Amino acid sequence: MTVAATSRPPRRRFRRLGKVLRFIAALSLVGAIYTAFAPGIYADEPKGFTAEDIAKGKAIFDQSCITCHGNNAQGVDDRGPSLIGVGPAAVEFQVNTGRMPMARQEAQAERKTPMFTPEEAYFLAAYIDSLGGGPAVPKGVDLNDLSNADVATGGTLFRVNCSSCHAFSTGGGALSSGKYAPSLFPATPTEIYQAMLTGPQNMPVFADNQLTPEQKRDLIAYIKYIQNDQAQGGWDLGAFGPSTEGLAIFLVGIVALAVATLWIAGKS
Amino acid sequence: MSKEATPGDAEPIDVMDPKTTQYELVKEALRRDGIEILHYEPRYEPGSKEEKRVERTIAFFFALTGLGALGFIVTYIWWPYEYEFGGADVMSKWYTPMLGLCLGVALAGLGLGVLTWAKKLLPKEEMIQERHDGASEPEDRKLAGAVLAGVGGDIGIHRRPLLKRALLFGAAPLGLAALMPIGGLIKDPKNDLFETGFNKKFNNGKPVRLMREDGTLVRPEDVSVGGQITVFPAIPGGASLKHADSPTLLIHLREADAEEARKNAYVMNQGSQWQNFIAYSKICTHVGCPASLYEQQTNRLLCPCHQSQFHITDNAKPIFGPATRSLPQLPLDVDEEGYLYATEDYKVAIGPAFWEREKK
Repeated sequence: MTVAATSRPPRRRFRRLGKVLRFIAALSLVGAIYTAFAPGIYADEPKGFTAEDIAKGKAIFDQSCITCHGNNAQGVDDRGPSLIGVGPAAVEFQVNTGRMPMARQEAQAERKTPMFTPEEAYFLAAYIDSLGGGPAVPKGVDLNDLSNADVATGGTLFRVNCSSCHAFSTGGGALSSGKYAPSLFPATPTEIYQAMLTGPQNMPVFADNQLTPEQKRDLIAYIKYIQNDQAQGGWDLGAFGPSTEGLAIFLVGIVALAVATLWIAGKS
Repeated sequence: MSKEATPGDAEPIDVMDPKTTQYELVKEALRRDGIEILHYEPRYEPGSKEEKRVERTIAFFFALTGLGALGFIVTYIWWPYEYEFGGADVMSKWYTPMLGLCLGVALAGLGLGVLTWAKKLLPKEEMIQERHDGASEPEDRKLAGAVLAGVGGDIGIHRRPLLKRALLFGAAPLGLAALMPIGGLIKDPKNDLFETGFNKKFNNGKPVRLMREDGTLVRPEDVSVGGQITVFPAIPGGASLKHADSPTLLIHLREADAEEARKNAYVMNQGSQWQNFIAYSKICTHVGCPASLYEQQTNRLLCPCHQSQFHITDNAKPIFGPATRSLPQLPLDVDEEGYLYATEDYKVAIGPAFWEREKK
């Protein structure tokens, strides 16, 4: 290309360069207009990470995450995925729920006691965010006080979007090949928000353009509402739904009846 | 009642003799049925202390039944049953368990009472009965046959053709009348099983847009990569039971997965994707449950009822479970206003199989 270009008269070369420049300018103009008007997939507000946060995060990353996610978080084949562009919400969710670091490669990363403090998770999130952005919980969303959220709307949204996997009573349920949708009982409102935002593991993504922050708050309020509600009789058998209840009746009820019949017959 | 079924050598007694005791009459009745009493003894001395004790136990069980049943009635009428939010201190949370407890106590008391009565109060007895072999005596059989034939002859339907026809005319329509209510359930669905709400005929011949349950239209940017939503035809009543065959799962695949899906597409499904968006019927092809457990990494779609799994990037082909047919794919496009729409209805019938399915 350069060889061909030098052989041309300089004027044509400049005209060509001008054409390219105009094209780039037009493209960026269209892009700018698009980003200005199209609803962004992720809220692009400043997340407020400092260079110090990022450096601390990188230090933790280099010690604890690098084996599976690679030295620049680009991922390692058959070990861990690339983390570029996953965003701070995903990192904080995975680390604060103890899912990452994983104990071993298996079908599902389970919730366990977190290995890092929330502060360390924040630093890690800052580092991963510095590598390529990604979704974060918007600043103005109040997840501590859900008293003004609409529980009824949240219930409708939960039944439409979440109940097929997490069960009507938020107890979770089975998926394919050893995977499962976890129980939502131990999850904090922030964790639920982050999970919806980022779609951890096999969960579909419910970004803020699909369920608005307002709707997400309603949803979380509903989840916490029914979890604080007492089940009829006090024992919900894990809130998994009719299967466990049927199994319990079968194992306990039928066995009790069988024993009673044997006892009656045996005594005659 | 045949003669040689009488066991043992007990002498027949004179039943009409006023001096015969009740026990002897019972014994004779059993003897005539071919049963012999080997041993018979009351469990307790009548009126003894032990007998009274057992009686009290049984009475206690029956009283328990009465109290349980009364408790059930009281709970049913007066216990607060309407839903309230709260913990274990809220009365209504104990409504169902209380009903169960009361009824359980009542039925258990009745059962235990009857059982104790039979086991502890009835006399100890031991009897034997000879086993009969085969059919009845030839004589008995001949007599029974003659009686039946005699009744038939007396009615004389074969000699009275008028009555025979009149009875047939009377009875046959009556039978048909009984079948009418069932007949009302049989209805030719015509083309309904092959069409969903995405058919252009519901939108004056124009393609039908996609909408959410609340009626808002769907733009591609509303579903993020790795996300999915349930969509309905944007026609009046599109999300109602009137178009219960129309719920569709709209999935935004990752670039590589979308490419794979395009590569794998059956001829019928080619061009049905819009960019990286793909839409499949949500009605499982096994027995019609909503298959919407979407795993965004493995691209499997699970049906919660019978664990069928469909491979989203390969025409939603069933890869596990009882379903045998792929989920039908909805051909998508985006109109000039930026809304997603179905270019046409599903190309094959959605949901479980039916007899005429393959004919079209």
